[in-house]
Amino acid sequence: MLDIKKTVNGNELVIVMTGRLDTLTAPQLEEELSASIDSAENLVFDFSELEYISSAGLRVLLSAQKTKNASGSMTVKNVSEEIREIFDVTGFSDILTIE
Amino acid sequence: MKIDRDNDILTASLEGRIDSGNSSDVENKIREAIGDSKPASVVLDASALEYISSAGLRVILRLRKDHPSLRVINVSPEVYEVFEMTGFTEMMTVEKAYRQVSIEGCEEIGRGANGTIYRIDKDNVVKVYKNADALDDIQHEREVARLALILGIPTAISYDVVRVGDSYGSVFELLNATSFSKMIANEPDKIDWCVQEYVKMLKLIHSTVVPEGKLPDMKETVVGWAKFMQDYLPEDAAKKLLAMVEAVPHNDHMIHGDYHTKNLELQDDEVLLVDMDTLAVGNPVFELASMFNAYAGFFEIDHEAIKAFQGFDLDTATEFWQKTLRAYLETDDEEVVRSVEDKARIVGYTRLIRRSIRRGGLEDPARKAEIDLWTKELIELLGKYDTLLFDVDLEEKKVKNELDIEAIEENLSTVTAFVDERLEKVGCSMKAQMQIDLAVEEIFINIAKYAYYPDKGRATVRVEVNDEPVQVKITFLDHGKPYDPLAKEDPDVTLSAADRPVGGLGVFMVKQSMDDVKYEYKDGANILTLTKSL
Repeated sequence: MLDIKKTVNGNELVIVMTGRLDTLTAPQLEEELSASIDSAENLVFDFSELEYISSAGLRVLLSAQKTKNASGSMTVKNVSEEIREIFDVTGFSDILTIE
Repeated sequence: MKIDRDNDILTASLEGRIDSGNSSDVENKIREAIGDSKPASVVLDASALEYISSAGLRVILRLRKDHPSLRVINVSPEVYEVFEMTGFTEMMTVEKAYRQVSIEGCEEIGRGANGTIYRIDKDNVVKVYKNADALDDIQHEREVARLALILGIPTAISYDVVRVGDSYGSVFELLNATSFSKMIANEPDKIDWCVQEYVKMLKLIHSTVVPEGKLPDMKETVVGWAKFMQDYLPEDAAKKLLAMVEAVPHNDHMIHGDYHTKNLELQDDEVLLVDMDTLAVGNPVFELASMFNAYAGFFEIDHEAIKAFQGFDLDTATEFWQKTLRAYLETDDEEVVRSVEDKARIVGYTRLIRRSIRRGGLEDPARKAEIDLWTKELIELLGKYDTLLFDVDLEEKKVKNELDIEAIEENLSTVTAFVDERLEKVGCSMKAQMQIDLAVEEIFINIAKYAYYPDKGRATVRVEVNDEPVQVKITFLDHGKPYDPLAKEDPDVTLSAADRPVGGLGVFMVKQSMDDVKYEYKDGANILTLTKSL
């Protein structure tokens, strides 16, 4: 129930997710990232079509952020109000770069 | 300002704006008009009132001090909001102005004990109440409809109160809906489908447990009928009737009270129950009694009368009723069906006879003949039976509130879908649903991963919804190792990405998004309860 689309623009990798990022689908994202996270300097997550994120999804985001802190950058855009609140209570708003 | 005196009621018409500029003037005029006379009640008619400031509100308070029964009527929605915000609506009678709705030329689509339902346009229907002073009835019906909805019964809730001529009406949204009566009348080949859906809804109603005190007890009503009959039946029969009704044990399951095919609507693919004002709790025999009356009892002499009421004839009504009984009882055993019908007839005739006598039926020869026939049948039935009780399988609903499932990660979607289905029924916001989903996921995945490790086991998920305030309670139960997930210390959410461990957020998020999370280990089970107000 999660569809992941990847687009590469020069050194930028844009990931658009449609559906739910939960315990069942987080491994899917993890796999996609492990294959391509090092190839792009700037990693961009587009959340416009993401309906839901659970702690399993947050774990993947945090791992990605740690990797990108070491080299490169990571941005999350088009975050819905509901997901924004989850970022707020978990302190992710301070960790992630949210546009 | 216009001031009217009618008998002992003084009505002052408030106009335009009342603020600090003119409030004392308004107060003086009203007090002058009252003078030394002591009217039984003072009414402020706010039809032409556009605005009221706190200075104006103080005038009302002062007047109310001297005239405690003071009421404000015909208040516009804007001004009503001021009364509501300032708490005046709780303190005194403040009545809204109601818009007028005409039912001229409108199709009648339903009829219940207290009123008639008309379609006023494509999307809306209005229920017009018989009682001229129906505001309490309307309030009651709104409350019980809301209760039914929360308990999982699909129904429509009124969103507006209007005036229809001199009566009150409540407006419901009912898009493209067709009543079951109309379907049966127009499409006779659909009768079996109608029976199936009608019985499904009936079983849902009868398997719904109602919290104590929320609905009237039908048994008390029927005991009242049986007591009334003491003067109209031979002594033995009268005593037996009362004893049989009194022997029906208390039952806390819902009954509709007026469950016939005009009160069931098909809207798109959804079946909706309407006309909820007779909702009660009680034994299913009381429901079957009113159903018997609606399809047979009322029409035992006047066979044609049913056409005007239901739109279909008595043969169709008989076929529908007999098929309904068999489907409800899940049997084709004629003897069983007959005995249940007879028990319903005992209560049904009791009601019909009482109703007709109270309406002067004994003085009218045609109606007297009806009363005599019902009485003869009632006495015969009382000679044949010693109890009103019968067996019916009503377990369906309990299963629906509870899911027993293998605790493996792959089942997360099933658990979430189960919980969401219940939430959707009560109109949960997107945000609350997401927070609840989050909590459900964390807890269920915890059980799946750790409770039985390295073995596998099962988990039970129960969803309960309470009203006032609307609150959802989700309970998880497993028989794995005792483990209190709440005992773990909360993570430090202020740490930077580099310093934060990637895990450990789950339970913290649950605590943050739920109003209350409780854990206990009892009788060999981990029981975790989440509560959230919607």
